[in-house]
Amino acid sequence: MAERLDEAASGAPLFANGTPARAPFVFFDLETTGLSGGAGTQAFLVGCAWCEDDGAFVTRQYVLTRYADERPLLDTVAGEFTRAGALVSFNGKSFDAPVLETRYLFHRLAWIGAGVPHVDVLHPARQFWKGESCSLVALERDVLGFHRIGDVAGFEIPERYFQFVRSGDARPLAAVLEHNRLDLLSLAALTSRLLHLARVGPGETRDAREALALGRVYARAGRDDCARAAFELAVERGMSDRFRNSDDVRDIRLGALRAFALSLRRAREYARAAVCWREILDTPGCPPLPAKDAAEALAIHHEHRARDLAAARAFALRIGQAGVPGMPGMNAAVRHRLARLDRKLETATARQPSLSWPSPSLPTSRPSSGSPTSAPRTSS
Amino acid sequence: MFTYDGDTPQDARRTIRSRAHLVLSNPDMVHSGILPHHPRWAKLFENLKYVVIDELHAYRGVFGSHLANVLRRLRRICRHYGSNPVFICSSATIANPRELAERLTEQPFELVEKSGAPRGEKFFVFVNPPVVNQQLGIRRSYLSETRRIAAEFLKRNLQLIVFARSRLTTEILTTYLKEDFEGEPGMPERIRGYRGGYLPLRRREIEKGLRDSVVRAVVSTNALELGIDIGALDVSVMAGYPGTIASTWQRAGRAGRRASRSAAVMVASSAPLDQFVVKNPSYFFDASPEHALIDPDNLHILVDHLKCAAFELPMSTNEAFGRHDVQEILGVLAEQGLVHLSSRPGPSESEGSRAGPFGPAGEWTWTSESYPADAVSLRSVSSDNFVIVDTTHETRVISETDFTSGPATLHPKAIYIVEGALYQVEQLDFEGRKAYVRQIDCDYYTDAITYNKVTPIDTFESGAEQAPPLLGDDARDGAAELARPVPGVRTHGEVHVVSRVVGFKKIKFYTNENVGSGELDLPEQQMHTTSYWLTVPASVMGALPFAPDDRRDGIVGLAYALKQIAQLLLMCDGHDIGIALDSGDTDVVAGAARGQRIFVYDNYPGGIGFSAPLYEMHDELLAKTRQLIADCECENGCPGCVGPAGNTGPLAKAAALRILNLLGQTKISTTDNTEDTEMEVL
Repeated sequence: MAERLDEAASGAPLFANGTPARAPFVFFDLETTGLSGGAGTQAFLVGCAWCEDDGAFVTRQYVLTRYADERPLLDTVAGEFTRAGALVSFNGKSFDAPVLETRYLFHRLAWIGAGVPHVDVLHPARQFWKGESCSLVALERDVLGFHRIGDVAGFEIPERYFQFVRSGDARPLAAVLEHNRLDLLSLAALTSRLLHLARVGPGETRDAREALALGRVYARAGRDDCARAAFELAVERGMSDRFRNSDDVRDIRLGALRAFALSLRRAREYARAAVCWREILDTPGCPPLPAKDAAEALAIHHEHRARDLAAARAFALRIGQAGVPGMPGMNAAVRHRLARLDRKLETATARQPSLSWPSPSLPTSRPSSGSPTSAPRTSS
Repeated sequence: MFTYDGDTPQDARRTIRSRAHLVLSNPDMVHSGILPHHPRWAKLFENLKYVVIDELHAYRGVFGSHLANVLRRLRRICRHYGSNPVFICSSATIANPRELAERLTEQPFELVEKSGAPRGEKFFVFVNPPVVNQQLGIRRSYLSETRRIAAEFLKRNLQLIVFARSRLTTEILTTYLKEDFEGEPGMPERIRGYRGGYLPLRRREIEKGLRDSVVRAVVSTNALELGIDIGALDVSVMAGYPGTIASTWQRAGRAGRRASRSAAVMVASSAPLDQFVVKNPSYFFDASPEHALIDPDNLHILVDHLKCAAFELPMSTNEAFGRHDVQEILGVLAEQGLVHLSSRPGPSESEGSRAGPFGPAGEWTWTSESYPADAVSLRSVSSDNFVIVDTTHETRVISETDFTSGPATLHPKAIYIVEGALYQVEQLDFEGRKAYVRQIDCDYYTDAITYNKVTPIDTFESGAEQAPPLLGDDARDGAAELARPVPGVRTHGEVHVVSRVVGFKKIKFYTNENVGSGELDLPEQQMHTTSYWLTVPASVMGALPFAPDDRRDGIVGLAYALKQIAQLLLMCDGHDIGIALDSGDTDVVAGAARGQRIFVYDNYPGGIGFSAPLYEMHDELLAKTRQLIADCECENGCPGCVGPAGNTGPLAKAAALRILNLLGQTKISTTDNTEDTEMEVL
């Protein structure tokens, strides 16, 4: 894990909104006295972890044993954060960092986290691995294959701390410390997987979802070629998933096709893009919005690139039939497009009545009566 | 300058916290949104110079008591950040603006009470609609009278505002005046209604119409009483007494702001308060306005805010909260696990942080997951409440009410009023704290009959201590029948109140006629609160030339009138105070010896600070009550004095007056004539 993190560290900005995140990474995770935030919510345990040069994974946990020790605790934690090239957390942008910031502000100390790049693994995790649940425990089971034994439940943690505060008996905290340590370990392992994938490319992704998410990461960073390759692989993986007829798999496949089509268009590979759009439109049970987008892209493609006006007209009609909730199907833009196509078709017919216009991109499969393929024939 | 309230978008909040030099907010937001997050406001608190509280008079009763505690928390946070802001308050006319400001903020104040604004000549007219039924004491509808008066002004092309007391009456009066005066269709509307619930655009349009004089008359709820610029009008007409002197002046002030001649007209309804004011204009013009009262140390409220304070900053072991040493309360909170007493790092740290005895350097820290401000509403004493669910169309929650007043307002068949719309309660789920209602069209409202039993627990002060011991051989003033020692007439103290809603009456709108009743079986409620009570000595009861039943009626009538006047003097709402009589039948002998007691208690657990002032105002309370009854033109009691004739016996009015007369004598004969001038009114 340490080796992978080391090798792939240069990819960290991909997961830090482009901020210059770099090694060394300091993983951090808080255990708090509540979830509500505000001046009365404290971080009683600040767990920090990093990889040493020799590959050792080191965890250092700061526990608040007395209320009055909070200030020195925060001072020390600030020291740990200062040497970080990036802070890495799970949901830390929304929770851990604001809670810590409040504690620093409370003591009128500078909040060091504001100036350090922050990788919040929750956000990419949702893209890469979203399953039933996106909790850290679920991810480590599904992605990493870890299983915790005797882990303390999150909701019990504050009360265990209060118990310690009231009794002075630290034993209930042992399990909390272990829980926090495992969180840090899983966090580091997930981070290393993300960075590794970003480094080696889509070849090592395990399914269409990972490949699609990776492509999006590349696309956001402007690495179009890498992105396109990832999308292409995602489409491919999605094909092999085709027998699994779940909505989830279908949506990923549609997403991959759409992303791939857009990246092909950006690369001026219009014909290949059209094939993808066509694929979206032909997907059984395709939801209205992607269907509308695909029909629109195809109408444009056939009108302006392929110059197959009859096909363009058929796809323009499909835009209107998509039936996106809350949007009038046959709106002004669609009617305008149809009118223009009709005018063009008229002049074309007048000039060239032979009807022998080749239409290479016209799909040959499934010439059922309801499909757009039949429309050009009847109308011309 | 930024507004920071519940409507402020989340993404704007961070900017406001770091950049604002001036923040406009409200007590609820300061309480639950700003103080608990004070570290994020550190910059503001460090530099805070002024805290401005507008409309100070609104912070009375429960709300004011809460605000006083919010301000204690605010000042505590300011101390933490090293600032000590100056408080600036502005208030409508109340008797004690300075005292209220000082109680709310616990800071000394300078009072500036002279208005520098130019003033034109103003006519102030009180109108009492004529009696149409002498026997029942029923007067002509004050709404018809208001309509007639407004029409007179409109005919003379004067621009006016009509204040109604509810949204419903606002709509009714608007309809009347539109019928009478609306111009041709298509022309700009000359008569407009105005109330909360109208869309902002419509309201801005009406306000502009008033400023431009296109709108000749507007009928409004109290929504136009404060703050909104509608220019200067010629006449302000009030349909019904607004409830307090302060808001009457506010409403009157809507006419004639510039140095021009103007008029204000108050049309009295048949409610006792209205009748008292209209018959005693000097009360309004000469006497000092009402006192705004609060009790920041109501234990329930104090404890709620102490929790919030401990959440915000640890409390030290020698810290006071307001004027109070709160260590004992913190000890109780510690037993509940909410706070924990921990040590501070001292020079010698040999012993760890084990629980145990600590020096004065210890701190109470918050040891709970909860966010206490969320559980505290500034508008009620306890956070338990009933919600009102409308089932007319789809099921929706339309309102809520605090637990204490739930049974009396939400019993089955009760009429519940929201924004002038009438609902009838179909089912009260007491355990689930829900009342299911359905919209209804009717001309009555309901008044619960509550059986209250009040038992004194502790006496704080009693009038008996001030009385000379004996009159025996010096029976002055011919009060021969009072020759025995007279026990305390006024007392205030702590009481235990058990109340149970046993039935209800249907009361017709406007006339207050009793048009039906029903019985109820609801669980009883108990509370400890503070109370003032008047003891009518056995000697006085014995001296009444009436049969026992009629004497009892006199007491009931007296209690009815007493409550109205107490409400007037305390500047509070009807449900803020409760009234109860000794149940003489349980212990006839003791009751007879002790005399008859009438309790006026704070209708909130722990009390809200009414009983001590009422004790102080005892003489005024009795004098004004006597005045209310004596000046009433009815024969045997009416809704305007001792209660509707049907409710009390035929001699209630006479007996009540007689009791008050005798008490007056008692007063004179038992004190050192210190308050003779007051008593001469009698």
